[in-house]
Amino acid sequence: MILTAQALRKQYPRGEQVFYAVDGVSLTLAAGEFVCLTGRSGCGKTTLLNILAGLLTPDAGSVSFAGQEYADLDDKALSRLRNTRLGYITQGQSLLANFTALQNVVLPYALRRRPGNPANRALALLEQMGLGSAAAQYPASLSGGEARRVAIARALLPEPELLIADEPTGDLDGETAAEIMRIFAAIAEQGTAVLMATHDTAAARYGSRILTMRAGRLVKVGGGRGAGT
Amino acid sequence: MDDRPYLTFSDLAFCNLKRRPVRTAGLIILVAIMSFVLFGGSLITYGLFNGTDALASRLGADLLIVPKGYDQTVEGILLRGEPSAFYMDGAWTEKIAAVEGVRAVSPQLFVASLNASCCAMPIQLIGFEQKTDFVIEPWIRTAYPGDLADGDIVVGGAVSGRVGEAIKFFDRDYRIAAKMEKTGTGFDASIFMNMASARAAAADYSAAGGTPLPAAGAVSSLAVTIDEGFTISGVTGGINSEFGYGSSGIVVVAAKTIVHSVAGGLRAIVTFSAALAALLWFVALLVLAVVFSVVINERKREFGVLRSLGATRRKLQALVFLEAGVVSLTGGGAGVFLAALIIIPFRAYIQDAAAMPYMQPSPGGFVAVTIACLLLSFAVGPLASLFSAVKIGRADAYAVIREGEA
Ligand SMILES: Nc1ncnc2c1ncn2[C@@H]1O[C@H](COP(=O)(O)OP(=O)(O)OP(=O)(O)O)[C@@H](O)[C@H]1O
Ligand SMILES: [Mg+2]
Repeated sequence: MILTAQALRKQYPRGEQVFYAVDGVSLTLAAGEFVCLTGRSGCGKTTLLNILAGLLTPDAGSVSFAGQEYADLDDKALSRLRNTRLGYITQGQSLLANFTALQNVVLPYALRRRPGNPANRALALLEQMGLGSAAAQYPASLSGGEARRVAIARALLPEPELLIADEPTGDLDGETAAEIMRIFAAIAEQGTAVLMATHDTAAARYGSRILTMRAGRLVKVGGGRGAGT
Repeated sequence: MDDRPYLTFSDLAFCNLKRRPVRTAGLIILVAIMSFVLFGGSLITYGLFNGTDALASRLGADLLIVPKGYDQTVEGILLRGEPSAFYMDGAWTEKIAAVEGVRAVSPQLFVASLNASCCAMPIQLIGFEQKTDFVIEPWIRTAYPGDLADGDIVVGGAVSGRVGEAIKFFDRDYRIAAKMEKTGTGFDASIFMNMASARAAAADYSAAGGTPLPAAGAVSSLAVTIDEGFTISGVTGGINSEFGYGSSGIVVVAAKTIVHSVAGGLRAIVTFSAALAALLWFVALLVLAVVFSVVINERKREFGVLRSLGATRRKLQALVFLEAGVVSLTGGGAGVFLAALIIIPFRAYIQDAAAMPYMQPSPGGFVAVTIACLLLSFAVGPLASLFSAVKIGRADAYAVIREGEA
């Protein structure tokens, strides 16, 4: 298993009471799986993904990535994990406006130096996303779908073992969304585990497994396009 | 930047600063003004302290005795080199020497030149007795060990003319035997000579319509040191009671009070410039802190993205520190540079305007002041971003990036 989560819980104060944004969620992800996480707005998808990406500490429960418990890792180790093994496409616009598409794609290398120039691979990824000619463009001049594909290229740059995407098709038309779903399916076919949150039921059908969340809990585990669970 | 695809971490900082050129320039200018005042004020203050120190060590006397009514005048001569001539009977030298507690007495003769060939303005001529003098002679000795022949002069550091050249006063040539280092006191604009030469000059001066010379052996001031076991006020009281306070025609000035009157004026300047610099430093700190914390909020999404791409919290803090550092480094450097650019070439003017003993700090002191001011200016940026850095350091900061959050 590339990712294992057990009995995760995260609470936030709401007025006088506490309320659980994530309430007892357990799940596993194997290499090459394409799992879709659906649920209404506010059900806790982003909170869950942030926990799974090691950005948010759960109040209870545990997460392990390729056998490594997050609880045993410090900020530095978790950051290294995100930087090298886990691609996270956050919800909404996630490109830095001051940098070109290509510069945005190589950002992970700016945050942690490593040998080699990532520019060639970054360019190849942009071409793979059909954006070879947009490399020098700034985010402001990219369409929503193009910007999303740049973010995908950036997440794929370090050749991650797990790709987490938070509503990558949220603001896109059906045709463009389908295109991005096909990209994810292809990524999963190459062995990368993909976990995608969406409230677009059409998009969710591309997953090999669909998890449905309601008020912080996983309520239904269903089959997607391919096999069941 | 467009044709350089490989990004470095510092590009992130510089890019953010460039994105808001007006805000960045404003912050830099603020720090520059602060460091300008800080450095300029420190340099001038330091120079004044230097000058006062020089004056204190120059005045190796405990008491100065001058004709009644000339106590302010002698201060002007010593501090600022304002030329003046006044006389009292030479017999006072013996009389004062006989007072209990007086160890040594040495007379000086002050003559104001009318128009000397060296100088556009009248200049102070000071005659002293090389055998008995303990104020001027030890100092002159550092530049000219021999006896001064009649007509030979030693000139202060601010008097133009080279050793060996002649200066003409009252149609008489005087040869420059030595030139002193600058001291920051009135001595810099004075000319020293032996008593005989000074008497001749004084006679010329009164013949030319200047202060009349009362008697052949007249003197202008007496420098007095006192014996161990006696106090300055005790000996002053002794002199006053022996010769009659107010009726004797002389006045006793404690040499310390001259230094103190300088130090008093100095204290006001130091207090003012220190308060101004401190105020500006805090204003800069406050403004920077507010701006940085606003910027942090504005950049929530950017920080969240960087976190998701594997930036540690430390890295984000480093980013904020780096930006703050660039601002304060640029501003601090510019302010100090500008202040140096103005103060160093115009030091002569400052010296005049200060109307106080002013002496440019030594190169070592200058470097020390520069480093201290640069450090204080540079510190403002990182200190101001401390609050923001703490905010970033909180455990779950920038984890949740939700739709609608900017
Ligand atoms: N930092 C926080 N403080 C307080 N409440 C929070 C915080 N983050 C999330 N919540 C609450 O937790 C719940 C789940 O939020 P979350 O962003 O995970 O939902 P979501 O399923 O991603 O929604 P959407 O589909 O709109 O993105 C929401 O009710 C939200 O208001
Ligand atoms: Mg969400």
